Amino acid sequence: MTEPSAPFTPEQEAALRKWTQYYPYKQMGLVEALRCVQDWHRHIKPEAAAYVAQLFGLPFNHVWGVVTFFPTFTTKPTGKNRIGLCRGLSCWLAGSPQMAKRLESTLGVAEKEVTEDGRFSWEEMECLGACEQGPALLVNDRLQGQATDEKIAALAKELK
Amino acid sequence: MTKILTKHFDEPKLHELETYRRLGGYQGLEKALSMSRKDVTEEVKKSNLRGLGGAGFPTGGKWETVPPEEKSPGPRYVVVNCDESEPGCFKDRVLVARAPHQVIEGALIVAHAIDAHDAFIFVRGEYQNQYDILEDAIREAESAGYLKRCGMKLMRGAGAYISGLDTALLETMEGKKAWPRQPPPFPTVVGLMGRPTAVNNVETVSMLPHIMVNGGDWFAKIGAPKSGGTVVFSISGHVEKPGVYEFPMGVKLREVLAAAGGVKGGRKLKCVIPGGASMPPLVEKDLDVALDFDGVRAAGTFLGAGGMIVLDETADAVAVAHNIERFLAHESCGQCTPCREGSAWTERILGRLLDGKGTPDDLPNIQRVGENITGKVICALGDTVGVITRAYLAKFPEDFKKRAANG
Repeated sequence: MTEPSAPFTPEQEAALRKWTQYYPYKQMGLVEALRCVQDWHRHIKPEAAAYVAQLFGLPFNHVWGVVTFFPTFTTKPTGKNRIGLCRGLSCWLAGSPQMAKRLESTLGVAEKEVTEDGRFSWEEMECLGACEQGPALLVNDRLQGQATDEKIAALAKELK
Repeated sequence: MTKILTKHFDEPKLHELETYRRLGGYQGLEKALSMSRKDVTEEVKKSNLRGLGGAGFPTGGKWETVPPEEKSPGPRYVVVNCDESEPGCFKDRVLVARAPHQVIEGALIVAHAIDAHDAFIFVRGEYQNQYDILEDAIREAESAGYLKRCGMKLMRGAGAYISGLDTALLETMEGKKAWPRQPPPFPTVVGLMGRPTAVNNVETVSMLPHIMVNGGDWFAKIGAPKSGGTVVFSISGHVEKPGVYEFPMGVKLREVLAAAGGVKGGRKLKCVIPGGASMPPLVEKDLDVALDFDGVRAAGTFLGAGGMIVLDETADAVAVAHNIERFLAHESCGQCTPCREGSAWTERILGRLLDGKGTPDDLPNIQRVGENITGKVICALGDTVGVITRAYLAKFPEDFKKRAANG
């Protein structure tokens, strides 16, 4: 049987292998490994999932089931900067629907679409755990409270 | 005002080991290690500490169900649940950021009580800052020699609300879809990788060092009859001063609201969600309800994880119920048919009412669908799907009838 060609660089492969050994049982590292793949590729392709499955000694269907279950993982690329807007009850009361419109008009793309230059995508997310600072944003895994028109304009300008 | 967990929160460097130790940190662990496992559990039972992640299960009683070594030889695990995702809850985020060593010390006390040598802290992926803070704190604890008996590792989630439920959390940790298990067996008997596992919330474990130092009786006396100690509320919504507030268990709702500055803009209160969006709301006449597990239960709802959302008179009960049901429908894991289908139906009916396309059949349908979900599914998310709209409908029928008549 031929080895599938690696969709990862040697450094990336080493990082994935680290997760196969980090916890007492190999399979416990799967979600963390998939988080790496999502970060590197901005989505998880079936080939990448197949490779991870082989590393972890799991069937492809198992890994693909996990990929498609968790909202952090996407099967379609996100922008280089992934912006989440909380739509939980407190953020919704604080005006997140208006911020969704603002993200759409400022970035010029609909939810989950990527800007032409690849720099941005935005999406609504469920409660981000920053209810006292609504509407909350998750900018590349970091929480930012109190979204305003100005803050969104600044993100659009400053993030590379 | 009695504060336990947030007492030193004005110390800017509380997150560092040196400051934490100067303020008495790790003395609880030292005390625990000088006691037998059984005595630690007995002290915690005496304290009436109950799980602050939402379930309110007695903590000492939970550990007692971990089978002894001779009955279940092999590893046993501690899992600290920092997968806080219930709309309205953010106290774990603050507790970890301000006092990570309090969490680590607490986890090590659990490890001693159940004889575990591996502890894990499961942090929701959106709390990357908290993950970094814990990583630094674990490094500090390790260099100080606290992790010799029990190691500690972090793991992140991947955005699913249901991962916060203990058995779904274990599935996530095992690299699977976060599908809740049907207990029994409970995780203390068959937990992580089939081994006995104590799953405890961040706030719950944070209480343990204080119980060890001051004793179970001291803790029990602070709280309500069957809920010991304090509770850290997350307060948000239509309120003047949102944030975290620590109160003794059994505090009156009125008092908590006043501490948070009351309803925003002096407007009239519509309702208060006491425990997180999945809990039915309390109304004006409930302002003297005692906020502890049993007091809130007696008022027909749940203390949950203390995620309090205040809604003023401008809130429309149909829109609020729709927001919550939409959330639940999105987060339903899809394992049980009544929840998977029923949550989507409920969301659709509420959406129709909101769009002014409601029909007179919609209200009885909501009732019927709800009755066919609650009690017929594996986990509390599904139960909630059936309960929440019916609760808003019962408390604010006029909001619903107005919409239903528009069709």
